[in-house]
Amino acid sequence: MAEFSTSVVNKGDVSIIYLKGYLDAHTAPALEDNFMKLIDENKFKIIANFSELEYISSAGLGVFMAYIEKIRDNKGDIKLTNMSEKVFNIFDLLGFPLLYEIFKTEEEALEKFNESKSVGNE
Amino acid sequence: MSDTKNLKLKRNLTALVDFSRIINSSIDLQFILNNVLLTCLGKFLATRGLIALNENGVIRVKHSKGISDKLIEKFPLLDAGDNCLNSDSLKKFRNSAKLKAAEKISSSDDCVGIVCLGEKLNKTEYTQDDLEFLKTILNISATAIQNSVRINELQKVNRELDSRIQRLNSLFELSKEFGLFSESTKVSKLLVFSLIGQFLIQKFAVVVFEDGKIDILESKFDKDELIKVVEESGSREITETINVEELDEKYEGFKRLGINLIVPMQVQGKTKGLILLGERINKQPYSETDIEFIYSVGSLAIISIENKRLFQEELEKRKLEEELDLAREIQQNLLPQTLPAYSSYDIAALNMSSKQVGGDYYDVIPLDENKFCVAIADVSGKGFPASLLMANIQAFLQIICRQKVNLPDATALINDLICANTSDGRFITFFWALMDNAARKITYVNAGHNPPLLIRDGKITKLKKGGMIFGVMETSVPYISETISLKKDDVLILFTDGVSEAMNVTGEEFSDERLEKLVIDLSSKNADEIVEGIKNEVQQFSKGTDQSDDITLVVLKVK
Repeated sequence: MAEFSTSVVNKGDVSIIYLKGYLDAHTAPALEDNFMKLIDENKFKIIANFSELEYISSAGLGVFMAYIEKIRDNKGDIKLTNMSEKVFNIFDLLGFPLLYEIFKTEEEALEKFNESKSVGNE
Repeated sequence: MSDTKNLKLKRNLTALVDFSRIINSSIDLQFILNNVLLTCLGKFLATRGLIALNENGVIRVKHSKGISDKLIEKFPLLDAGDNCLNSDSLKKFRNSAKLKAAEKISSSDDCVGIVCLGEKLNKTEYTQDDLEFLKTILNISATAIQNSVRINELQKVNRELDSRIQRLNSLFELSKEFGLFSESTKVSKLLVFSLIGQFLIQKFAVVVFEDGKIDILESKFDKDELIKVVEESGSREITETINVEELDEKYEGFKRLGINLIVPMQVQGKTKGLILLGERINKQPYSETDIEFIYSVGSLAIISIENKRLFQEELEKRKLEEELDLAREIQQNLLPQTLPAYSSYDIAALNMSSKQVGGDYYDVIPLDENKFCVAIADVSGKGFPASLLMANIQAFLQIICRQKVNLPDATALINDLICANTSDGRFITFFWALMDNAARKITYVNAGHNPPLLIRDGKITKLKKGGMIFGVMETSVPYISETISLKKDDVLILFTDGVSEAMNVTGEEFSDERLEKLVIDLSSKNADEIVEGIKNEVQQFSKGTDQSDDITLVVLKVK
């Protein structure tokens, strides 16, 4: 079975989670651990980079739903980037674009975070 | 003059070719409709207009400009047919919306829709030429519109198909996953992940009913309040999905919490839990197929949870059985492993325990070269409590035999100790005797035990002297003992009620009479043979039944 792995890189106060492989009911708890850890460390600005993600199921999408409220309550967000068409289709099918900002590239998402920061500082 | 006319014609043609190229280059219906309408409005200098399309035989407005939404809502229900332009309702609508011109969009075989246009800015009427030109524009548009509609429909069907495949995948995935986990909390977590991911939900809970207890596995609601609501609404009785419209007074509490949907989780038609879901973030209602999906996922989850519970129960039962085996072994070790040898007595004993640990006990304890003690006891009830008391009395006996106390006093002492150790109405019947080897005599005390049988010359004497059974109350009346001189070939039989009360298949007891007759018949044999004889007879008698009680026998034959 294709596995799933993540790695986290911090750029400024934004944490980028790189997702790789198959995100389904079996592997969803691994992503959940990532979110719980970031929240524990008070890191609420999160980018999920999907460039190496091959598949996502509703259980995987559920992990994003489960933590978004808490993250936004803390003035953070999860922004999604670099989705393959196949992965985007599933997000789209279930109506996620309504709720999440989805960007073509990580840089665009980073920029968006930094923009809102400078607005906040004014 | 004819040059200008030609030029005008040429311009019109070029415009038409351009228009055709643009609308045929796109499959975006809105883009096409927008273009068609703008072209018409521009061409005739009109400020308002609409395009309505044939949707399964009914004509519906798809695009409009310059007309208020309120007015658009009044667009009549129009059957798509050859005569649709002439319907009175359309004429009425056109009047109220000030739409002067109307033309059909026709393909070779079908009515694709209609276009209505408002009055020209220059207030002139639409001429025949205008209408001809409008027709030309619409003829050019028809194919593009039709193609785009079909592609849209195809895309919609495709999307529905995708959505179904996606749901099937989820179900398949969960059924695979639920088989592996051992904890219900993990199952419920995956259940929740899948549902909130599938339907964009932020408020949810999963509750399970277990032996009259409400177990909240997942909750985004206040737990105490949720338990209260679940309890008060009698929601255990919910066997059908309850939608937001059906959350009436009875389920007011759920509504107040923000729950929009209640789906029962059932095993073989019995509700074992509930999935409680809040509103979807995209504000869409839960459709039939949504609910079907939720019900299926819920069923998978509850079956998995239920299986795990049954497995756990089985595991505990097995563990208990193992402990029981161990207890039985310990208990067996409390009985004498070997019997002492005395010149005047031939001794044999038997203990057959039933399936459970029980409360039968016997012992033969040597005191010195000449004297030994023989005892038999039966603790009321079975199982661990009885076996504990049995172990208790064994310990007392082993110790008290080493003290030089006379038999009645020692008996009183044991009763007092047992009384201190029992509180639940348990009692012990007990018989013990001090055997003198050289003098060939027995001194015994019987504390309520089945009287042992002394057989001499084919006659039976029952050894009844003694006092109260153990464990009822502290000794107030002293126990009395009796001493009997023994003769060669006297046989002494100590037994528990497992022997006399052994039952046959018809529920008849072996009985004291049958035992007495049997032991008289066997009395000429040696101790081992007598034990064997009684055992065989009892087993023969109760053949085909489960041994329900311990069977204990001690036989002494005077040599």
